[in-house]
Amino acid sequence: MPSNLPAALPTTRREFLQWSGRGIGLLAFSRFAPAFLVQTSAAGTAAPETGRPILVLVQLAGGNDGLNTLVPFEDADYYRLRPTLAIGRDRVLRLTDTHGLHPACADLTRLYHEGRLGIVQNVGYPNPNRSHFRSTEIWETASESGEFRTDGWLGRFMDNACAGQPASHDPVGIHLSDSEPQSFASPHDHPTFGLSPRGGRLRENEENRRLLEALAGISGPAENDNASFLRHTLMDSLVTERKVQEILGAYRPEAEYPANPFAHSLRSVAALIAAGLPTRVYFVSLSGFDTHSNQANQQANLLGTLSAGLAAFQQDLVHRRLDGQVLTMTFSEFGRRPNENESRGTDHGTAAPLFVMGTRVKGGLHGTAPSLRLPPNQDLAFSTDFRGVYAAMLDRWLGCPSEKVLGGKFAPVPVV
Amino acid sequence: MSPTIAPAEAWLPLPPAEWDAAAARHLLRRAGWTARPAETERAVKEGLAATLDRLFPAQPAPLVLPDAVAKLRAEAPALARGLQGATDDQERRRLRREARERTQAALQDLSLAWLQYAAQPDQAAFAKWVLFLSDVYVVGIEKVKNTVLIADHYDLLARHALGPAPELTKAVSRSPAMVVYLDLNQNRPDAPNENFARELFELFVLGEGHYTEADIKQAARAFTGYRQLLGTYRFAPRQHDGGVKTVFGETGRFGGDDVIDLAYGQPAAATFLPHELVKFYLSDQPLPPEWLVPLGDEWRRRGFHLRELARLFFGSRLFYAPENRGDFIKSPVQFYLGLMQDLDLDVTPLARTALVPLRQMGQVLFDPPNVRGWVGGRNWINSSTLAARRQLVEALFRPLREEVLNADEQRALAAARSAGPKRFTVERTRFAALAPLDPGAATDGLLGEFLALAPTAPFREQVRRYLASAADDATHRGERLRRAAVILLQSPEYQLC
Repeated sequence: MPSNLPAALPTTRREFLQWSGRGIGLLAFSRFAPAFLVQTSAAGTAAPETGRPILVLVQLAGGNDGLNTLVPFEDADYYRLRPTLAIGRDRVLRLTDTHGLHPACADLTRLYHEGRLGIVQNVGYPNPNRSHFRSTEIWETASESGEFRTDGWLGRFMDNACAGQPASHDPVGIHLSDSEPQSFASPHDHPTFGLSPRGGRLRENEENRRLLEALAGISGPAENDNASFLRHTLMDSLVTERKVQEILGAYRPEAEYPANPFAHSLRSVAALIAAGLPTRVYFVSLSGFDTHSNQANQQANLLGTLSAGLAAFQQDLVHRRLDGQVLTMTFSEFGRRPNENESRGTDHGTAAPLFVMGTRVKGGLHGTAPSLRLPPNQDLAFSTDFRGVYAAMLDRWLGCPSEKVLGGKFAPVPVV
Repeated sequence: MSPTIAPAEAWLPLPPAEWDAAAARHLLRRAGWTARPAETERAVKEGLAATLDRLFPAQPAPLVLPDAVAKLRAEAPALARGLQGATDDQERRRLRREARERTQAALQDLSLAWLQYAAQPDQAAFAKWVLFLSDVYVVGIEKVKNTVLIADHYDLLARHALGPAPELTKAVSRSPAMVVYLDLNQNRPDAPNENFARELFELFVLGEGHYTEADIKQAARAFTGYRQLLGTYRFAPRQHDGGVKTVFGETGRFGGDDVIDLAYGQPAAATFLPHELVKFYLSDQPLPPEWLVPLGDEWRRRGFHLRELARLFFGSRLFYAPENRGDFIKSPVQFYLGLMQDLDLDVTPLARTALVPLRQMGQVLFDPPNVRGWVGGRNWINSSTLAARRQLVEALFRPLREEVLNADEQRALAAARSAGPKRFTVERTRFAALAPLDPGAATDGLLGEFLALAPTAPFREQVRRYLASAADDATHRGERLRRAAVILLQSPEYQLC
């Protein structure tokens, strides 16, 4: 039998039937047919909707220093707190009379002036936690600082948005990170999909996938319900994987993306959006923001990567006329301490600004800047709760009642 | 399921002639996390009885609690005094917040310490046995909110894990974590709280349908006065209802321990824990009562001794029956720790690489979903948890990207390494021994090492062809072997044991 096994799993019903017709009998070993076979368009299930609003979440992992991202260049306290790290007035890319972006953010500055970039200032939450792990968890689960919860805010969005919808084979959420973000976590099974940002060599991936597909298609020595159930579940994700790889392989971007993994991830997101997948949320991660020492170069490189990557992505979407459908938002687990430390770095802090990019965004600065009238080693007091930003994304963009997801009322920040 | 062995023979000892490498691998995988070739060889040589004595020793090595837990314990009185003395709300809030953060950090340390402890092959079976008991006598951090109490609860389970079950149950009724988790501290003579009494009968000793609502109401009165203060159990005589109670038809001035003894006097007590044992270790399909009763009878005859139960169960014919091999879905903890052992790895002391994958696969240590514990079986598997399993395998085969780690993570790594060389990801040379072999022999080596059952011929052929297509030099063959291993560990077969 192995000799006439096709090179790959079928990705459509038609291919599948051809495959079965050749006597492979995929169903013969399993009570559990792959999901795409079970759904028939004749069975009253609506075609998956495309063209609905999409949110791309960009994680700045490690805790991005907000004060050197959105610089209060008229504030003497800023220069007092940052004797070596402060960015000189003349180097700041001005947005307003008082605030400007880090010099590495030229592209973002341009987007700002075009009205395609909104910046929400001084975003945080009460009783801030300074552990990377815990604070990331708080942002991703949208919980109170003292609350233990494991499901993510986008997972709960999926719970609400997908309830009662036909079980679709296509992923609701796609992440381009080594592992699934907690933001997607849900006690319910939503099809989500992960794509390694580092990829690896294409030919190698292709060979590996083929072997796994082949192995998943062969019944085992003890073929029982558990084994077929596992095969079925794996097969479903392999079918998605193949579909995604085909989309990425065929994609011709309409913007020039910088050559780095972050920009490459955004290019993949653009490809998947352009292919019309019904996916509503994407998650991309850029890490290295934990700048305890020698922050200046490190942060400049990272912000440059962020700025150029986001700009290429936005341009690609604009050229494809998809920009009206997509919002991109950044977040980081915390900002950093206002005063620099002895190692020309900054330690874990609290609130920080975040970016929202898109054609439909309400550009400009939102919220209020933090006060820097602070005694030594004191942290910023946040002025906008991050759940207010989430509420805006849910209520005004994704079209999902935010109260159900956030477990309470948070006034949406008018960034969209 | 209907077992192939008749109830009367099911629990007889496995005939020595049937104790072979396959049987040893089955025992090691089910009682522990996986079966390393050296461990299998040793078990075969020593024999089943001696192996069981070793897996479930009279004096098991306990988990040493991490410093963060000890510190949290030491500081509890001061914190309580501080809270009492706090003059304003803001100060109280600050202290509570600090306590919460400390308990969360300590929980992370405790989880990592447990993983490191359980990953040792010598301790795997005992650690899993305690995990099993914790899945019966459930408490969760979400409600208990104090890592010290959680750590002590596990320690208490470990100390009674291989002794008489009634003693364990009595100890659990005094476990401060349980006092909080099932509201014993709210149980007052004038306002009984039945939570503990109900779960005692339903989830700890008898199972549903083997008690009446009246039994619960009366039993709850016997457990009044069970309190804890700062993590220490206290009996409050003035909060105890010393009156006459009638439980299971017996009448007397019963206390909590009397009620537990009465419960173990019920016929259902003999089969309840064996039923849970089957569910946790043997099969998703419940065993019909005809098969459970003889095991329960024998267990009762042996004084409800838990070590005896382990020996009976893991030494029985039924445990080794062909229908019970290779069809059980590994829990996330087993999948993770099995990988650590199969790939000769040390648990990375980072939440990012150890606890996060577990959460993504659906299991957060010390935080079961509810009082029933983890459901297990097929509930472990869905599209995202299966993807998480595959991603974990990929991650273990890639070098750790230390440059993206946060500063505290780098410190934790350095601390772990200062105690001796560590292997956090699979070494280049891990499959060197198989590289010189011809593809067929290398395939058999890989499959034999990792899979619970020998796969079918077409499966083997796929892997062989994959290995055979490597360029014929040592580097390419080694690399191919690594990638074949990745795929094998991601295959449906490796999810089963």
